[in-house]
Amino acid sequence: MSKATVELLINGERHSVDVEHHWTLLYVLRNVLGLTGTKENCLEAECGVCTVLLDGAAVASCILLALQCVGRSITTIEGLAHGDQLHPLQQAFIEHGSVQCGYCIPGMILTAKSYLDENPGPHTDSEIREGLAGTLCRCTGYQKIVDAVAQVARERQP
Amino acid sequence: MTHHQKRVIGQRLARIDGLGKVTGRAGYAADIVLPGMLFGRIFRSTVPHALIRRLDVSRALSLPGVRAVVTAADLPNARYGQAVKDTPVLATDRVQFVGHPVAAIAATSLEIAEAALSAIEVEYEPLPAVFDPEQALAPDSVLIHPQWQSYDALPVLARERNVSSRASMRLGDVERAFAEAYRVYEHHFTTQIVHAGYTEPRVAVARWDGASLTVWCNTQLPFDIQQTLAGVLEMPAANIRVQVPGIGGGFGGKLRVGVEHFAAVLARKAGRPVKVMSSSEEELIAANPRQPAKVSVKSGVTRDGIILAKQGRVLVDTGAFAGSGPGTAAIALQILAGPYRTPNLLLESIAVYTNKVPTGSFRAPSGPIGNFALEQHMDRIAEDLGIDPLELRLRNVISEGDLGPAGEPLTSVSIRECLQRAADAIGWSDRRPARGRGKGLACGWWMTTGGSSGVFVKLTPEGRVVLTSGAVELGTAALTGAAQILAEELTLDLDDVTISGVDTQTSPFDYGAQGSRTMFSVGNACRKAAEDLRAQIFALAAKHFGVAPETLSLADKHVVSGNHRLSLAEVGQIAQASGGGLIARGVTNSPPAPHDPARVKNHPLPVWNTPTFHAHAVDLSVDEGTGEITINRYVVAQDVGFAVNPTYIEGQIEGGVAQGLGQAMSEEIVYRDGHVLNANLTDYKMPTAVDVPRIESILVECPSRDGPYGAKGVGEPPCIEPPAAIANAVAAATGIWIDSLPITAEKIALGQRKRAS
Repeated sequence: MSKATVELLINGERHSVDVEHHWTLLYVLRNVLGLTGTKENCLEAECGVCTVLLDGAAVASCILLALQCVGRSITTIEGLAHGDQLHPLQQAFIEHGSVQCGYCIPGMILTAKSYLDENPGPHTDSEIREGLAGTLCRCTGYQKIVDAVAQVARERQP
Repeated sequence: MTHHQKRVIGQRLARIDGLGKVTGRAGYAADIVLPGMLFGRIFRSTVPHALIRRLDVSRALSLPGVRAVVTAADLPNARYGQAVKDTPVLATDRVQFVGHPVAAIAATSLEIAEAALSAIEVEYEPLPAVFDPEQALAPDSVLIHPQWQSYDALPVLARERNVSSRASMRLGDVERAFAEAYRVYEHHFTTQIVHAGYTEPRVAVARWDGASLTVWCNTQLPFDIQQTLAGVLEMPAANIRVQVPGIGGGFGGKLRVGVEHFAAVLARKAGRPVKVMSSSEEELIAANPRQPAKVSVKSGVTRDGIILAKQGRVLVDTGAFAGSGPGTAAIALQILAGPYRTPNLLLESIAVYTNKVPTGSFRAPSGPIGNFALEQHMDRIAEDLGIDPLELRLRNVISEGDLGPAGEPLTSVSIRECLQRAADAIGWSDRRPARGRGKGLACGWWMTTGGSSGVFVKLTPEGRVVLTSGAVELGTAALTGAAQILAEELTLDLDDVTISGVDTQTSPFDYGAQGSRTMFSVGNACRKAAEDLRAQIFALAAKHFGVAPETLSLADKHVVSGNHRLSLAEVGQIAQASGGGLIARGVTNSPPAPHDPARVKNHPLPVWNTPTFHAHAVDLSVDEGTGEITINRYVVAQDVGFAVNPTYIEGQIEGGVAQGLGQAMSEEIVYRDGHVLNANLTDYKMPTAVDVPRIESILVECPSRDGPYGAKGVGEPPCIEPPAAIANAVAAATGIWIDSLPITAEKIALGQRKRAS
């Protein structure tokens, strides 16, 4: 299996990584770099728990090759807060009780961020639900997640 | 200690583990990586029923990077199982379903392990397979477990051939009552296989240190895993340490051993740590989904709709192993009895093997199975008698002091209030507001599973406490609730409570995160531990003040003696300096209520601990052309006893209803000739954010006698009523009764077409 040394820009930090050509971004994040906040489940881009931001857009890191990410900017859940200052979505998820087991939450928060960044709004609940539909949550029934995202969306309105 | 004002309990406080979960720092079993760790994969049967004639793993073992291959020949001849010990770690002489584990491989990478699977050679001699539970009951059916008589099993179970259990409840004389009834109604229903759908697959990492084994896994029941491993590995449980770093959902699907045993036997053979994680396909063909079932229910009623007698039969298809089936099938009898006065009862349940996926306990195991049948049956009786379905229920529901189906006295009965509040909220008086639009309701009851819990509570020199429980935080925030109780009892803030992780070596025993019991039982244990800690604190402070301990009280994180105060931080410091610090212990148990043994036969759980009551009401529209359902509103009125943290109780209701709607309308593991046709998360249709409506939760608080501050179990009930509520609303909207789950648009459209023609 052929390996390559590549530079990946993750959460604003440059990482020089030896990757095998077939390694996915998810594999490199979790097993090489120890960034386990990005979660692993179906490995077929069906569930959304592995969602990260690639140049700001939500992508399923389980079907993206690490080599495809060279020269691009990757944001994982570990890179969302500034020090102790949580991102408004993280804060809203805590305040609204949107978190249960938490396994989908990193992917869900990044899905929501990508959606809000791409769609300035205002947003109806059903638009937010469409925006989040690619990420499965089995615990919450989505309601408190939608409420948290809706609150952040409202706060963004001028 | 309920005399002070409630400051922490009853409040919508944020969960203790929220920060870690939104920042990605929270640990899960799937995240565990150890030095030298290998990756395990499972070689599974591709045929539903066959004898293994030849199994050759030598080629797989010779591949570069493969470090171990394990087959049944490497293992003790031990079987495990919750009610019947019928399950080997790996197939011995036969395979009994597609997906049956035959061999396990550990390699230096997942790719190598995967490649090595195809290097395993196996020859099968096909046996006739049976997929239909009725056929499996036939006296001439092929035997799925020819050696069934040799299995250890719970003594209460009545087993024979493919039947792993048969339970019954009997009261009065149904035949005579049917003969005297104004009308007798009988309906038949089928329910499907559904998967718990947790987002973190079952995963385990095992490491051996000499004769000791450590397993990190995402089980709901670490102590059960410890015992199961001790049994199949034939070693002392004391040498097995199970730790649960975190768990990405469970819903009952992670109660029993999943992949822990595979990791353990591979790690032992390889001499290195091994991680085994299920794929989505393995989850859907070989995990522990909810049993499919066939249910018949027959009622005799008066002209006014008063139930005189009920007869019912539940046939639960457990798949290749009994799993939770005997208990699940038996509990379906209480579900079929329902929260209704029924003077004559004859209920029977049968759990039967077939050559399909072994099943387990998914949230409220037989709740949706029996409730879908019973509550649709009630609506169909109401329709035929021309009685409003709400009114029919109100005429029959149980009241305080009535006896349950096993003859147990019922207390804190709130079914009437739940029904009325749900109906009022949905606007029941206008049940068919428009063409193609209708409202339906369903009600039910469920248990708060009992069992014992112990906790340790340690006072720190900062005056904070560390709570150690053997209960896993499943995600429900049950331990946040228990910590709220602990904080309340000790005049602390919730922030003053730290929860330590679960480790069978150091945590007190807990019956586990299951059965809507965690907050209930751990909360009770916390109250006891607080009592113990207060006594220890007062003993120490009494010496400090030179007074009698009985004169002391606790207020605002201080011991108070007249005008003098001593902070809990000071107490913690004095305790550490003088005698090893303070550790308190609290234990609780819920002994079963007395019942009439003459009413039940071969029933492993005849009486429910602290029953709960609930009613759901839905307003939906059905597309006349496609049969597609749009839910306009969904209301739940659930008796929670006392809402320790309303936010997370709503979370349980919202999430449980979402799962219930999945079972009601879209989810099914589809089998053809013993093979699963939809073993992926695109074709196994769990609700997404666009599929779930806003859920309106009404928290009814009818305090229980035994729960902390009157709390009752919360977690399971919300997924029980959605299938029946949807079915009844669809009938109100269209006049079509769908008697099988899921209630798909196709079934409704077919019904509409059939009626039109």
